[in-house]
Amino acid sequence: MRRLIENRFGMLALVLIALVAVYGVAYATRPAPVAPVKAEPVKTPIAAVSTVCPDPGGAMVTAVTPPNAGGGQTLIEDGGKPVTMDEPGKLWQKTLPAGTDPVQVHATGAMATGLEAAQTRRALSGEARGLSGVRCVDPGADAWFVGPGPAAGDIRLHLANVESAPADVALVVYSGEGQVIAERANGLILKPGEHRTVDLKKVAPSPLIMALNVSTGRGRVAAAVEATTPEGVDWLPQTTEPAKRVVVPGVPGSAGRRELYVAAPGDQDAVVQIKAVLKDGSYALENREDVEVPAGSVVTVDLSTGVTGQPAAIVLTSEIPVVAGLKIVGTGSRTDVAYTAGAPSIDLGSVVADARSTKAVTSRLILSAPDKAAAVTVTLLPREGEAPAPIEVEIPAQRTKEIILKGSAKGFSVVVTPKPGSGPVYGGRVMEERTSGGQFVTAQPLAVARTWTLVPKAGEAPSIVLPPYSS
Amino acid sequence: MHSVTAIVVAHDGSRWLRDTLRAVLAQTRSIDRGVGVDNGSRDDSGALLGEAFGKHSVVHMPRSSGFAEAVHEVVRRLPATPGITEWLWVIHDDCAPDTRALELLLQAADEYPETGILGPKLRDWLDRKLLLEVGVTVARSGRRETGLEAREYDQGQHDAEPRGVRDVLAVSTAGMLIRRDVWDEIGGLDAKLPLFRDDLDFCWRARAAGHRVLAVTGAVAWHAEASSKRRRRIAASDDHPRRLARRYSLFVLMANLPFWTMVWSLARNTVGSLIRTFLFLVAKQPAHAVDELAAIGSLLLHPLRLRRARKARKASRAGYALVKPMFSPPTLAFRRVWEMVQNQLSGSGPMDSAGRHHAVHLPGAEEGDELLTDDDGFLRRAFASPGVRLFVLLTAVAIAAERDLLSGGTPGGFLGGGALVPVAGGASDLWALYTGEWAPPYVAVLAVLSTITFGKTWLAVSILLLACVPLSGLSAYLATKSFVGYRPARVWLAATYALLPVATGVVAAGRIGSAVVFILLPVYASLATKVLADTHKPARRAAWGLGLLLAVGTAFAPLLYVFVAVLGLLAALSFGGVRRGVGGNLLISLGAPLILLGPWLATIVEDPVRILREAGLPMTSSPTLAPEALLTLNPGGPGAPPIWVTAGLLAVALGALLLRRHQFIVAVGWGVAIVGVLAATVVSRLSTWPGVPLAFAATGLLVSTALAAHRVAEFRQAGGFRRVGAALIVLVAFATPVAAATLWIMDEAGGPLQRDVRSPLPAIAEAYSKPGEGTLLLRTAASGSGGGLSYTVMRGRIPVIGESERAAYGSAFTDAVAGLASGRGGTDAGSLAAQGIAFVSVPGPVDPSIRRALDSDPAVARVTLTDRAGLWRMTGTVTPDPGPADDAWHRYWLYGQGALVVIVLLLSAPGARTAEPDAPEEIPAERERVAV
Repeated sequence: MRRLIENRFGMLALVLIALVAVYGVAYATRPAPVAPVKAEPVKTPIAAVSTVCPDPGGAMVTAVTPPNAGGGQTLIEDGGKPVTMDEPGKLWQKTLPAGTDPVQVHATGAMATGLEAAQTRRALSGEARGLSGVRCVDPGADAWFVGPGPAAGDIRLHLANVESAPADVALVVYSGEGQVIAERANGLILKPGEHRTVDLKKVAPSPLIMALNVSTGRGRVAAAVEATTPEGVDWLPQTTEPAKRVVVPGVPGSAGRRELYVAAPGDQDAVVQIKAVLKDGSYALENREDVEVPAGSVVTVDLSTGVTGQPAAIVLTSEIPVVAGLKIVGTGSRTDVAYTAGAPSIDLGSVVADARSTKAVTSRLILSAPDKAAAVTVTLLPREGEAPAPIEVEIPAQRTKEIILKGSAKGFSVVVTPKPGSGPVYGGRVMEERTSGGQFVTAQPLAVARTWTLVPKAGEAPSIVLPPYSS
Repeated sequence: MHSVTAIVVAHDGSRWLRDTLRAVLAQTRSIDRGVGVDNGSRDDSGALLGEAFGKHSVVHMPRSSGFAEAVHEVVRRLPATPGITEWLWVIHDDCAPDTRALELLLQAADEYPETGILGPKLRDWLDRKLLLEVGVTVARSGRRETGLEAREYDQGQHDAEPRGVRDVLAVSTAGMLIRRDVWDEIGGLDAKLPLFRDDLDFCWRARAAGHRVLAVTGAVAWHAEASSKRRRRIAASDDHPRRLARRYSLFVLMANLPFWTMVWSLARNTVGSLIRTFLFLVAKQPAHAVDELAAIGSLLLHPLRLRRARKARKASRAGYALVKPMFSPPTLAFRRVWEMVQNQLSGSGPMDSAGRHHAVHLPGAEEGDELLTDDDGFLRRAFASPGVRLFVLLTAVAIAAERDLLSGGTPGGFLGGGALVPVAGGASDLWALYTGEWAPPYVAVLAVLSTITFGKTWLAVSILLLACVPLSGLSAYLATKSFVGYRPARVWLAATYALLPVATGVVAAGRIGSAVVFILLPVYASLATKVLADTHKPARRAAWGLGLLLAVGTAFAPLLYVFVAVLGLLAALSFGGVRRGVGGNLLISLGAPLILLGPWLATIVEDPVRILREAGLPMTSSPTLAPEALLTLNPGGPGAPPIWVTAGLLAVALGALLLRRHQFIVAVGWGVAIVGVLAATVVSRLSTWPGVPLAFAATGLLVSTALAAHRVAEFRQAGGFRRVGAALIVLVAFATPVAAATLWIMDEAGGPLQRDVRSPLPAIAEAYSKPGEGTLLLRTAASGSGGGLSYTVMRGRIPVIGESERAAYGSAFTDAVAGLASGRGGTDAGSLAAQGIAFVSVPGPVDPSIRRALDSDPAVARVTLTDRAGLWRMTGTVTPDPGPADDAWHRYWLYGQGALVVIVLLLSAPGARTAEPDAPEEIPAERERVAV
């Protein structure tokens, strides 16, 4: 050893051997690169829901919680004595007298999981003739509506503040000619518990078509829009907020005119590609492949040729975020209308509170899978009697399927649950009633059920005080 | 008509007495009478006096008599001669007057008849031109002031023109010429002051009585100051002359000042003494400290003695107004303080002159510090040093590379990124954090640094982090001085070390912990060498210093300690038997951090993974670092150059192995290098950045290579192909730092570290947060790293460095945060509000699902939402977080830790280098006795 160290090359050799050994250790212990483990969010039942049915006077209000383990309770304040419900799977239905204040439904615990409420009005004559229904709305800070404007009829915005803090509401109206600058659109203050109806004619009298954004500076408000036009009456469903891809589902396969509203609320003109997802495939509509929407304005596109008579979903893509809605006009000498609007995919399932199936009334469930093939289970919850067996529905990729719901004549609720591994599903429920004067119609795009929420995997990380760094 | 009686008082002074007597007797104006007093000398002083003045003219006194007593005894026996002016010429046995001294003194006395006391100009006995004093005065601290600079040579600069006399407060008793009637009038020298300051007291009284005291600059006497320089034992008191001098200084001052002035002066001096005591302790001159305390103590403890003295001087105090103008000006006091600081810095202790009798001051010659050896101007001196040049060059490189980090800061932007929390707050915030809760100890280090940088934490952090390269270069250059003799090799070593991939990586990722360790590492190496190689005191001192710095480094990067402990253990095994004390010293070095960081290290033991973490935000590193990167000392990550940069270093390091010199140290160096790389491999595979072990490896490699570098110079001198080889080696060796610097400048230093990190806390939340209320910050992780939601809580402000490390919230809180972000409703927001969360901040772009969830929760209300950020407020009642409970143990520990740090600091600080020379070689006085 001593001789080795004292040799001129001995030391070098020792060091080289050591270095090779270290290299070997480093090489052998080098792990293969691993993809980062994706933190899957956890599905968690929703524990509390508040919803407001905006104008239940003369309408039937339905509230339901899909069957589950039970627990908690639902409190329904319909102007009379508050009703308490604690049995999931059971429908609560009541037709309320005209002039009733907004109905509030509060649920906690398991009763909140999937709670759904809707109001449906049926009038045979008068201004409100026809079927008009709306999903009872969650109070929020931001809501978008697309449909006919105040110049086309009587457009009323129902606002209700059910919170304990005042709400400061601002309205922005977009018309066919651009954004409407209106003095009366700002500074609407709703005290806690206050509700109010705003005639949009007073805000912006001129638009024939409009997109409406209701937002609160502080507080939250439940907003719903009722449109009474010569063509008929119905509520405008809340549409998804401006996005680069909007799916307007729930176009029924019945006859009648179909008219698409597209608005680009930003300050840039949008070129929107329109595709219809139909029973036999997904097509761009002839001559209406691209629609130009000037910045801040709304355009209508008549989709009757191509879509009428076929169940469909309309897919809009644009570089600029847009909002969209669709008018469904019934047939007959005196028409009725219904509106559907951009809706999210129902990955976590969806519940429709109210549907009916009689000799005159047809309820259709229109399901679209614009991307990948999808499979869902449809369960009906009748108001009375045994629940029928769930229906399994498979939707091929880029197709739409229409299901005629056969259930209790007294009314039933529909629960749509995507199967694991299913592609995104969009849908809507349409109710039609044949009357002597013409077809009544109302529609409701499927909203994400308040059943589940995705709880992200959270962790404390002090390093987030810094912006993320990407090299 | 004058009659002069020379009184020579001798006490064991035969060494000087012969010359003194010869000088007294050889006066041009010869003395009228000579009297000798022998204070019980044990040598032949008595006999010498007898020879000179005749046996009958010698008075024998007991050995314990003081100087004043001796003179009194003579004066008592002197018969008064009426009609002529009688003079007493008091002469020490070690004071030889010039031949014309008496003549000139009397001449002055004739000229100024109101004069009571005269004294010659005193010069040093040995160094004949060195000026000791030209009259003295007193400072308000009681210090005897000569008004001269240290080691001032007499070139006539203090000679008074035109008459050669100066009005002074006092003159020394050595060669003092006193008019006898004045002596009688004011009672002569005070016998209670047996040795020192009797002159001052006496002259003070004379002055107060209206007599003039003159220093005659023409008259010269050479004085050996044998007593105060301890060239002989003093018998009048057992105490050290320094303590006596200090005590009598104060005593004289207090005895002569008017009452209120005295009270004020007493208070002032008490405080001053305490401060000086402290300074002496810091300088490790405990004897001085004791003297200082004893002096003021004896004064305060004996009020009666003072009262008696004051009573006796009642008359003279009336003349205080005459004396006052003679005090030394206050500016002189400042000059003394400055001198003291200078002395301390130059290593000679704050002062050793409290008992000094004169201006001679022998500071230890500045030894060794090559920065300061030349006598040229400071700048020239500084820039002539390669170390300074290297530092300037590295600073320039760093500035060029960090151009974006240094310039263009917008207001409201913070330096931060990577491992560095946006540097907000000031020193007070850091102190508050450290004293308020169990914070990591590096917070205290940063707090100290921030305090030094005027409370600006960003400045302290910038110096540590952005100036990491030049600072580590400087520390490498200075630290290797003791073991790398060849200076160009040191320059190469320092430059290469400073520009290692570790250094650039440290800067790019804002790793302040590694930066501190990287700067300190060469110092560790230097101190460790001292611990192992030196003996006795220097080794012990180095051991304490190493312990302290190791504690600092460990606080910033605990991994360091593990590594040093392993190396220390190996060193103890191999050196323990060879050198005595090595084991103990290593124990000190390795034990000090354990004690200084005790409780914090205990928390690390509970959670050993934290050993791998360093100061700042946790920042993982890829575990798949290539083996070749590890071998080329490249830690990877942001800021790491291509791996070929260090090829030159490795080449010369391997080449150095072929030289058969310093084989042992080279083997040790390579051993450290290989152990370092191995440790780096392990650490890297644990997803930790291997900067610290690689820095160790590099240090080992660089030192072992630099030690062989002088052979290159030999090659060059050898000429021929060896000369070419030498040039080639130099080229290859310097390729590494040059390439590293070039690449660094080209690629710029930034990375995750940025100049303009926006405050993560919205201004509204900051403004409206009440104490104890926090802001929850939510950020969805990038999908690349697995998604998920991350949160942190900021309490009313951006977290300061160190706050990020506390384990704050449990799983219940995390669940509530996740629930709030999911929008499941329920009581999540309420439970967060109950824990003090008042705001929820989501930096933009705000994830739509989080936005929806927050917007739909009735317990949360939106405050603002823009593209850049969203802020929500809790609508319910927010229960402020009470903050960390007042922990008595924590407080005790802080005191304990502070005391320990001070103790270790004292033990490690270089002590005063003066060793009082006991009787240096005596140069025969004749040799230089040239007329001046």
